[in-house]
Order: sequence, then structure tokens, then C-alpha cells
Amino acid sequence: MRNFSRNVVTALVVLAATPALALAAPGAVSLESSIKLDKVVTEKGQTHHEYVAPQKVVPGNHLLFVTSYRNTGDKPVDHFVVTNPVPSPVALESAGADNFDVSVDGGKTWGKLSQLSVTKPGASARAAEAADVTHVRWVIPVIAPGAAGTLEYHAVVR
Amino acid sequence: MKRMRYLLAAGAATAGLVGGTSAYAAGTLAGTLIQNTANATFSSGSGTSTIQSNTVTVKVDQLVGVAVTALTSTPATIGTTAATLIYQVTNTGNGADSFDLTGAPNVSGNAFNATLQTVAIDTNGNGVYDPGVDTVITNGAASQTLAPDASIKVFLIAAAPTTATDTQTSQVRLTATSVTGSGTPGTLLAGKGVGGVDAVVGASGGTANALAGLIASLATVTLTKSATIADPYGGTNPVPGATVTYTIVSHVTGSGTATGLQVTDTFPTGTTYQASSLTLGGTALTDAADSDAGTATSTGITVTLGNVAGGSADKTIAFKVKIN
Repeated sequence: MRNFSRNVVTALVVLAATPALALAAPGAVSLESSIKLDKVVTEKGQTHHEYVAPQKVVPGNHLLFVTSYRNTGDKPVDHFVVTNPVPSPVALESAGADNFDVSVDGGKTWGKLSQLSVTKPGASARAAEAADVTHVRWVIPVIAPGAAGTLEYHAVVR
Repeated sequence: MKRMRYLLAAGAATAGLVGGTSAYAAGTLAGTLIQNTANATFSSGSGTSTIQSNTVTVKVDQLVGVAVTALTSTPATIGTTAATLIYQVTNTGNGADSFDLTGAPNVSGNAFNATLQTVAIDTNGNGVYDPGVDTVITNGAASQTLAPDASIKVFLIAAAPTTATDTQTSQVRLTATSVTGSGTPGTLLAGKGVGGVDAVVGASGGTANALAGLIASLATVTLTKSATIADPYGGTNPVPGATVTYTIVSHVTGSGTATGLQVTDTFPTGTTYQASSLTLGGTALTDAADSDAGTATSTGITVTLGNVAGGSADKTIAFKVKIN
């Protein structure tokens, strides 16, 4: 009777531990994407930006794309590379675009926007513009356990 | 391997859609979904992991916009015949829309206000009003549905009022107003967009207008009648048996043309027309109704001058009667 009862307890401990082990290895990071409407508000002659839930979005609106990450595991993660395809209905804005690597060829080659060029069929190469960007990418060397951060890019609805 | 395949697939899809959306000056089409998903790779210990974020989706609402331009760039002449003014209406919004088309000839500053006869849409797109081909609409009625960036030509056919005088100018306004909605830019039109999406009034306020000019080209006809008398005694007294020569001078002024000008005169009571005495510009006209311009009957004369341009040489008609 006593042996049986100890075995049951042991089994319960193992069951409880299994999901935790699965999360911890090889490392756990949460990634959450959100879109906010960049609203310019003028009050008493002063303008400031408000980032609100996008209730109404029309061409010309400015959007802020936010990706939040958090290391939910108990080990640091290395070489954390976040790749975000820029949705085709929006164009990356040039302001702040040099804070991350971009690609203008669907993610094949990467670099700072100012270093890239675009060659369209039947035309000579020209310097890449923010609107040419198809993907943005951030590289974070190390995220400590429990550490979190946000990655942002601004884009305008075409 | 798995990660690479994902990236390539995403890249191909993105490139395909970029071409589709950038084709529109009006911007991304209403109802388009903006979907954002981030993905990440990282290493931890010995392993490499790939994770993907949630996909957040935002639907593009309809932005209402319209532009009107006058294609009639120099004032159209208006006179005894009506003038056709041509305008272009363009859907500058990002969703299909139709537009109420209103012609208004009463514009501040007009020397005269034309009368609007017809509002028509250039159905065959040739830029010329074709009666029976192009669609005539009631003034203020809606156009057909226009796709984003699509435009139509609209004709306003206007007639000059009788009060207009030569070389006076006037303007006629065409206003196009979105059927989806209009008002202060930014006004929300809940559920009014294509496919039931919300619509927002754009910078144009959902309405636009343009003016096209008219210039009156009219002719003024002045008839001056005079008489000379030759009595049987060598004098100029109006006695029985005296011959009266009537002269009518037709003088046409103005930039327009007097069309179908016809001069008629009735013989005074107590006189008798002298056969074959009718002349035009000194040339004899037969009395009979025939191929020449003049006809004389027992009661009067008719001379057809036809279309006479303003400023052309005066035309002189003469005929003789005898006092009974």
C-alpha cells in the first residue's frame, strides 16, 4: 500500500515537470507583432504623435509596426535574428530606416538602405529607396533570461 | 532548410503584390489586408530555433476622392447654336465609386447665364458629344461606377439667353460629388465603402468642381429703309403717278453670323409694285419664286440673304412702287 502510494506521487512529479522541460530547451522566446496608427495630434499649436489602435486606415496613413520579444526561458539566447517582411500595401518610411538592415530583393541580400541599389528590368541600377524595401531585419547578439525589448519600423499605407 | 524555404516563399509573395498595389495613383485598394508577421531565429546552447509571431491584420478602408478638370480650355463660342463644354471626372479614391454630376450655369461674375440644355456622359470615350450614342442624364444624377483612377468625360451643352450680347463671357460649373459620401475631410462613413468597408472622406471633401468658359459670338442686324420719289412732272412730290424707290440697307455687326437672314417688306396701301424693279446690290432679281434670292408678289417683297457674317459688306435691296 505504501509503495503504491509513493509511486503515484513520483509519477505526478514527472508529469508536472515535463511541460517545463519542453519550454526550457533549447530556449524560449516569445514574439508578438502589433500595428499602431501614427496619429499626429495638434494641441495649442504643438504637434505630437499618438500611437493608437488602427480603427480606420486609408492610403497615406502612417503606421508603426512593433515586434515585441521576451526571453521566457532560463538561459540566454544568442544571435537572435528577427526578420519581418514589409506587407506589400505599405512602404517603409526613410526616417529611422538606417537603424536596421533591409532587403530590397525579397530577403536574398541585406544591408543598410543607403548601400543598396535596385535594378528593374530594362533600366539601369539606381539607389534603393525606402519604398523599395521588402524585408527588414534586426540582429540582437544576446538576450538574457527574462530580458525583453521592442523592434519598430514606420511605414506609410501606399 | 525549413527556414530558408519560408523566407523564399515570403519574398516571392511580397514581390508579386508590390506590383499590384503600386499601379494605383489612388493608393492601396479599399478592402486590402495589411498583414504583418515577424519571424526570428536564434541559438541557445547547441540548438537553433525558429519562431514566428502572431499575424496582425489591418484592413484598408475606402478613401473617397474625386477630381474634376475642364477639358474645354479656351472659351467655347456660343451664339445662335448651343455650345458643348467638356469636363473630365476622375475617381481619385481607392475604391469604386460613382459621382453625382451637376451642371450650374449661374456662376458669380458671369455677364450672362447660359441655359443648360443637356448633361451627357461620353459613353464611347471619343471626346465628342454624339447624340443618341452618349448617355444623357438628368442634371444632378449619378454617373456609372468608376473604378479607382478611372475617369469619364462629361458634356454640358449650354445655350445663350436672348439677353446675351456679342463678346460677353460666361462660365459654367460642373460639380461631381461622391455618392459614397462627402463632407469635411476625415468624416467617417461607416460601412459605406466597397464591400461594406468603412469609408473616410478624403482631402477633396468628396466633391470637386471645375469651370469652363463661354464667349458669346452674336450678330446684330440693322435694317435702314429710305425712299426717293420721282413725280411725273420731274419733281419729288408724292402725287398719284409718282414712282417711289424704296431702299433697304442690311448692316450686320458683331463677331457672330446672322444665319438665315431674310428681309421682307410690305407695299404701302395705295401703291402698286413696279414689276421687275427688285434689285439686290444693284443686280436685278426676278419677281418669280425661283433660284435667285428675291421674290415679289402683289403685296410685298422677300429677299433671302442667308448667312451673313458680322462685319461683311452691307447689302442693299431696292424696289419701286407707283402711287395710285
